[in-house]
Amino acid sequence: MTKHRHTLDVVDLTIEIPNGMRLLRDVSLNLEPGEVRALVGESGAGKSMIGKAVLGILPSALKITSGEILMEGHNLGSLSPRARRAAVAETAALIPQDPLTALNPVRKIGPQITDPLVRIRGWSASEARKRALDLLDRVHIRAPERVMNSYPHELSGGMRQRVLIAAAFAPSPRLIVADEPTTALDVTVQKQILRLIRELQRETGTSVLFVTHDMGVVAKISQKVTVLFAGKVMEDAPTRDIFTDPGHPYTRALIAATPSHADPNRSFSPVPDSLIADLHRQIAQDDSLYRGARP
Amino acid sequence: MADATALPRARGPRSLNLRLWLPAAWLSLLALAALLAPFIAPHDPLAQDLLMERLPPFFMAGSEPGYWLGTDSLGRDVLSRMIYGARVALFVALIAATITCLFGSTLGLLAGYYGGWWDRVISRLVEIWMAFPPVLFAVLLVAVMGTGLFSVIAAIALIDWTRFARVIRAETMVQARMDYVDSARIGGANRLTTLAGEILPNVLPSIVALLMLEMGIAVIVEAILSFVNLSISTDDPTWGSMIAEGRGAIHFAWWVLLFPLIALFLTVLSFSTLGEGLKQRFDPVLQ
Repeated sequence: MTKHRHTLDVVDLTIEIPNGMRLLRDVSLNLEPGEVRALVGESGAGKSMIGKAVLGILPSALKITSGEILMEGHNLGSLSPRARRAAVAETAALIPQDPLTALNPVRKIGPQITDPLVRIRGWSASEARKRALDLLDRVHIRAPERVMNSYPHELSGGMRQRVLIAAAFAPSPRLIVADEPTTALDVTVQKQILRLIRELQRETGTSVLFVTHDMGVVAKISQKVTVLFAGKVMEDAPTRDIFTDPGHPYTRALIAATPSHADPNRSFSPVPDSLIADLHRQIAQDDSLYRGARP
Repeated sequence: MADATALPRARGPRSLNLRLWLPAAWLSLLALAALLAPFIAPHDPLAQDLLMERLPPFFMAGSEPGYWLGTDSLGRDVLSRMIYGARVALFVALIAATITCLFGSTLGLLAGYYGGWWDRVISRLVEIWMAFPPVLFAVLLVAVMGTGLFSVIAAIALIDWTRFARVIRAETMVQARMDYVDSARIGGANRLTTLAGEILPNVLPSIVALLMLEMGIAVIVEAILSFVNLSISTDDPTWGSMIAEGRGAIHFAWWVLLFPLIALFLTVLSFSTLGEGLKQRFDPVLQ
């Protein structure tokens, strides 16, 4: 074993759909305690799928065909479903993409935050309530008592996302998967939400796996980056290096495709079709090798 | 952070919802009449008086005071028979629909959320079941089990559980795909807790609406079975048997047939309207 334990190790993870098509191809990444790793790529690259696999909420049609997920050193694949669920609940939490469907519409906000606290941490109802109020306060909700007694539809999208952030941090998880938490929000709210996640992350020292397609967000929040294309890791590097000296042509193209708020006159260009075609050709070659190698 | 100050909307005074209150009023009236039948029925529903046969209702010439809705061809009071008939109708509606709902909804929830083998077995069962023509199935069941209240209730439950199973399965599948279900699972909830605590409350409005609809259907099925003499013993007055008896005399004593028919119509309409109204009322989003 290594000296310091990683919060999360994903080792050579491959996920297939029943017809044998690979959606993730030997993906490896790790998260050290207190680290924020961004997972970038275009839609369909499989970045959300990695988060789902880690949290054990993959749709039942998708199968992990090889590779391992280790959470604080425990191999989730070797645990029984019940033990795996307990390990995930104990360690991890999710900040979901869509604040509209991530809260149960017919239940009040309060119990939706406190239920897991009672379940996972074994706290009493009043302790859990205190913790929930404290966190709602820390995500700058001004009338926490009132929000606890509201239904989700009574809150705005930004408020709901704050509630979800509070709910994710409430059980003091060591790992948070943030699945494009700002994508469904409008631009003005995006910034506040991003700042809030970074603030809480620094205070608590939680590791965050931050799924996004926005290179601008990557620069603001993460220390490390994994660039994904068609379910394959293109590059894995510290964020600073990625922007100053991108190692892979696809990463370079992604950065070139990002408009800059600071410098609106800087030109930006879409990822060239020829590069995408090349990458797909390489991956198809890998896939046929992979298939040939299997009995 | 302007949105952080946005507070839950205050709810204005709700206008009186007639779609909810009219059916509720009729059904309460009926329930009260059924409960208090021995005290409020003006006559013994079984007492025959051949001198008083086919008396017209109170607003027609030749009516007798005290026989508000007239009498049938054996001189029995129509109003009293209708009040006693409401007992049977409501009892069957309540018990049969509740049993049907519990059984069908449970299977629907399990099939919709657990999927896999649960879904395969339950869905095939529903398909096979629905291949039987329902009325024939009911008549057959009662014929085999013998007439009586219990047989009628069993027949309704055995035929109609598929309605709940199908609809609730579909609704459950929609809910099961929502992110809040994933969130609950990550929060350490097991499958049964998730189903009962997260999904069921979202499906409940549909269950209530279906339950009300089913009560209406149960009233009809009971009326059909007593119309063909397959419900409870012919001595006891039911709306169905009154309609059957009134059929022969429709040209000269239409009231024997019409009044129970109106009661039946209003009751079934009330149940389905109330179901829709309650569904909207229950749903915090639609409210």
